Amino acid sequence: MVYLAMFHWGWLLASLLLGLAMGWIAVVHRGRGVSKKTTRWLSVLAVALIAAALTRVVPGRFGYWLDLGLVMFAIYLVGCAIGSWLRDRVVSRQAAVS
Amino acid sequence: MRGLFRWSSKWWPGVIPLAVLWAIAAWTTTVPLEADLTAHATAALKDSVLDKTVISAAGRDITFSAEAFSEQGRSNAVASVETVPGVRQVNDGTTLVPEAKPFVWTIERDVAKVTLSGSTPLPVVKSKLLDAARATFSGIEIADQMNLSRGAPPRFEAAAVLLINQIGRLKNGKVTISDATVNLSGMARELGGREAIAAALKNLPEGYSVANEVHAPPYIFEANKDPVAATLTLTGYVPDNAVHAAIVASAGRKFFGEKVVDKLKASLGAPTGFDGVVTRALGALSRLSTGTLVVSDREVNLSGDALYDAAGNQIRTNLPKDLPQGWQAKAEVSVKPAAAPVDSTVCQQLFADLLGKGTIRFESGRATLDSDSVGLLDRLTETALRCPAATIEIVGHTDSDGDDSFNQSLSERRAQAVADYLVKAGMPADRFKPMGYGSAQPIAANDTDEGKAKNRRIDFIVRQ
Repeated sequence: MVYLAMFHWGWLLASLLLGLAMGWIAVVHRGRGVSKKTTRWLSVLAVALIAAALTRVVPGRFGYWLDLGLVMFAIYLVGCAIGSWLRDRVVSRQAAVS
Repeated sequence: MRGLFRWSSKWWPGVIPLAVLWAIAAWTTTVPLEADLTAHATAALKDSVLDKTVISAAGRDITFSAEAFSEQGRSNAVASVETVPGVRQVNDGTTLVPEAKPFVWTIERDVAKVTLSGSTPLPVVKSKLLDAARATFSGIEIADQMNLSRGAPPRFEAAAVLLINQIGRLKNGKVTISDATVNLSGMARELGGREAIAAALKNLPEGYSVANEVHAPPYIFEANKDPVAATLTLTGYVPDNAVHAAIVASAGRKFFGEKVVDKLKASLGAPTGFDGVVTRALGALSRLSTGTLVVSDREVNLSGDALYDAAGNQIRTNLPKDLPQGWQAKAEVSVKPAAAPVDSTVCQQLFADLLGKGTIRFESGRATLDSDSVGLLDRLTETALRCPAATIEIVGHTDSDGDDSFNQSLSERRAQAVADYLVKAGMPADRFKPMGYGSAQPIAANDTDEGKAKNRRIDFIVRQ
């Protein structure tokens, strides 16, 4: 994993920034979110993909692409979480001031 | 925390650019990643001893096939690749090098090429053997047809290097190691090569047995007696300097009228009994007026002209007799046409000339003719045959050592021995009158060894 992080740091950083931006926007976004049912299905899909990656059932290049995708996705989620949290703090402070 | 769940339902639009990023990342990084992992895996195997190593990467999976020389080496190599950072899994296609039974290694030399074939235990041994072959055969093409196998006999490398050095002494030939049995065959480049190889093979590591069938060029000794130039030319080989000196000294005594031209060289590889046979054959040659002696390995060939019939017969019968085991002799001796008869005065002159050049020798204190004197005796016989009407007094003299009656008797017996030799040539016994004077008629002072040697003599005096 350390090797992957070092080899792909540029792409991971891009994922993180993308996540930060998306998280930043999500807090004040007024559009519709993903329904709970869909979230559940997506979670099951994510768990299945993680299981496939950990058990190394996908061979060769596809296995590598799966690993890469999951790592980028995980970093993206971390970025989203940090972005949303920061935006939430900013929004709360502005609300308190006004 | 609840907020996080709420917000997270709105994170999905970012997944679309993320998917694009992922696709680009997958597109651009796969090949460099595979190249990087392959390079790292190859570097990790740098110290492993393997043959036919193939490493390829698909994503983060390494497919690794190779032939290892031991189970330990094989599992260590796989473990080294598995521990390369970034490798997800290793598809292990390694096997052990096949075991050769029997383990056979061969080096063959012909005129323009040296071929190494068969099995060697390790790549490093293989390259060492090739290096040894290149050092031994500089300038000759070396063909490597060796493969790698397990099951080499102990200390194979030392044995093989030693044998490569030995095959350098062959003009053509083949050496095979089959398990711990060594077979050599071929033709040595030089005389003595066979013996040098046999000596070197004693240094083979313990446990190796040898079948040595190396042949050597014939060991040749030649002597040519040329009466016109009055020379005896010795060419060819003798085993060592001591035998060399002995043969030249013996030739000097036997060929009293000829100059000995010595072109002999010392070399190993003489057949056993060489010096004895050569000395005897030189004695036979000394009886010929002109002739050639060739000793080739264990074969003696004498050709030329004897001085008279009986001498020819004696040479033909005596030469092949009492040779050491394995020796053969062939005498192609004809008889020189008889010289024209001369009167007694000329005869006397001829005897005096011959006895001036050489002395009839006897064994010390006895009346047995020395074998070195047969050449001179044949000359004297030939001369006696030229004056058939003459009666010849054969007079024996001794030096002053010992008591007078013994010397008297010795001189008489020695004169008789010479007369007997002449009679054997077919002349009537009554032509010869052997007599002895003991030490009564010295021709030199008896106080030096040289003087004594001059006094020990046989004189021929021609009477009408």
